[in-house]
Amino acid sequence: MRPFFEWCDHLAVANAIRDSRFVFPIIETFHLLALTVLLGTVLVLALRLMGAGLKKQPLTVVARALEPLTNWSVVVMLVSGFLMFSSEAMKCYENPPFFFKMAMLAVSILFHYTLVRPMVTAAQAPGRVRAALTGVASLLTWFSVAAGGRAIGFY
Amino acid sequence: MLQELCQWLQDLRWATDLRESEWMFPIVEGTHVIALALSVGTLMVMDLRLAGWLMRREKVSEVSNQLMPYSLTGFAVMFVTGILLFCSQALKAYGSVWFQLKLAMLLLAGINALIFELTLRRTVTQWDTLATPPFRARLAGIMGMILWTGVIAAGRTMAYNF
Repeated sequence: MRPFFEWCDHLAVANAIRDSRFVFPIIETFHLLALTVLLGTVLVLALRLMGAGLKKQPLTVVARALEPLTNWSVVVMLVSGFLMFSSEAMKCYENPPFFFKMAMLAVSILFHYTLVRPMVTAAQAPGRVRAALTGVASLLTWFSVAAGGRAIGFY
Repeated sequence: MLQELCQWLQDLRWATDLRESEWMFPIVEGTHVIALALSVGTLMVMDLRLAGWLMRREKVSEVSNQLMPYSLTGFAVMFVTGILLFCSQALKAYGSVWFQLKLAMLLLAGINALIFELTLRRTVTQWDTLATPPFRARLAGIMGMILWTGVIAAGRTMAYNF
């Protein structure tokens, strides 16, 4: 895997980010704003799955309204995240929390798009227990990504 | 005088402990950020409805009444952890332009919300079902989103310059 990290580290964009004092914090701010929208929409959907929050609206209505916001914030997070990663790829290579974060990110994305989304857009509403458990699990996966991200800077 | 107050705050036993602790500071800071997602995330959904950009078929009051408790809970946690973080680094925060900017935008966000609660909220029954709410309501929602985005950006920059 090391050659991939080295390749990222040598990208022109990685050098440009390293050469500027301002670019990294600006990218990180976009990353954080997208994080707020992502966790916010994931949370409102999870609350609805648990039978809380927007419970007067049908699950499919909440899910359809939030879906584009969730998708776009995932895109912004992946792009800004990759840019930040490239500028310190070799540091990340030696950082266990980074690998934990990437693993949880893969789990979260897979979980969201293969289990949560089909469930919340299905014509037939899911059972209450199954829905609540899915909501809790979804929150846990995304929050562990955020926690892993926070730990990167402390390791 | 404010500076002396900050010095006194950060010399408090628990503030010193928090500042010097290897684990407590990141835990409090992590809680602050998670509460931020809870509070501002739900607030964004309410503001987007107010702006007429999201859930246009749902009643404005239904969206906000159902999400407000979560937003306020998140805000309470964010407020308490924010005070703790501030006390542990009071002098640095006091001298930071970004912190002052953050406080100013928080204050403006508060005024924006207060004006909305005192004026528009009282007439909500008249425009509750409109896909696109009246101009002033939309303005309050858009202002809320801009100000909170500013608060987050200033907070992040502040921590970056510590």
